Amino acid sequence: MRINKKTIESEIFTGSMADVSFLLIIYFMVTSVFSATRGLDFQLPEDNTNTPEIKREDSIDIHVMAGDVIKVDGKQMSIDQILPYIADKLKQNPDKPVILRTDPDATYNDMIQVFDLLRQAPDKIGMEIKTISIPTQREIQNVWALFGMQ
Amino acid sequence: MAIIQGRARKTEAGIFTASMADIVFLLIVFFVLTYNVEVDHTQVQLPKTWVRTDIPKHAAFVSIDKNGLIRVSTGKEMSLPVGSDEEVVTFASNVVAANPNKEFVLKADKETKYEYVDKVLDALKQAKAKVIFLLSEQKTVEDTQ
Repeated sequence: MRINKKTIESEIFTGSMADVSFLLIIYFMVTSVFSATRGLDFQLPEDNTNTPEIKREDSIDIHVMAGDVIKVDGKQMSIDQILPYIADKLKQNPDKPVILRTDPDATYNDMIQVFDLLRQAPDKIGMEIKTISIPTQREIQNVWALFGMQ
Repeated sequence: MAIIQGRARKTEAGIFTASMADIVFLLIVFFVLTYNVEVDHTQVQLPKTWVRTDIPKHAAFVSIDKNGLIRVSTGKEMSLPVGSDEEVVTFASNVVAANPNKEFVLKADKETKYEYVDKVLDALKQAKAKVIFLLSEQKTVEDTQ
């Protein structure tokens, strides 16, 4: 007796692929963020005991205070006057470091605007500030204590 | 006039969906390539700067909100709040011990008092961090007017 064989075609069921794909898209759209991924870089000094300590009189001292008050080497200046002043100092000594001190009462924005300005020096005055130091309050107090000041 | 009799051809209305799968896969590939997990969801208003450089992926995060609340993340898991400055030093020291060249990102609200930022910077210095990125938004000409 002859039996007719049923031929079953093999195939992959792809009916649900569209659903899975759309679920994946929704997942990525919901969880992915277009966040800010850029910022101002700040190199901290290497832990080296041979690194010479910067003295205030050998440097340009910028003191940022609350209420947009900025003093450069003790003289009050507007933010636009800072770079021309630094340019004059750098012409005499291109290695002159800049110390950026900020009062605890000032805002983070006050400090970062000055730091951003100092980083623009190559474009604005054609000279690079080789060393920008941002001492913390603890470091400032340590230096004062070293000289017996409070 | 003779009436033409014949079978009317039925045209079914349909939307062509054959290319949908290609489009969907292209979108998936786009999202997979650009997928970036944000490890810190602290709501801050970032300061705006002209100078901005790219932050490396998986850098460690320290965020400070307007009220001085500090959160930290190694860059691989979600950020967690810390209670004191000493905890920031401990966190940063552990990160630096695991990878001495690890970059840190400081994400702070522009209205945050500098006192809080100073403490975090001091903690990172104590932990011997090498590079800190101060997260910012792009400044535009409109911002200066």
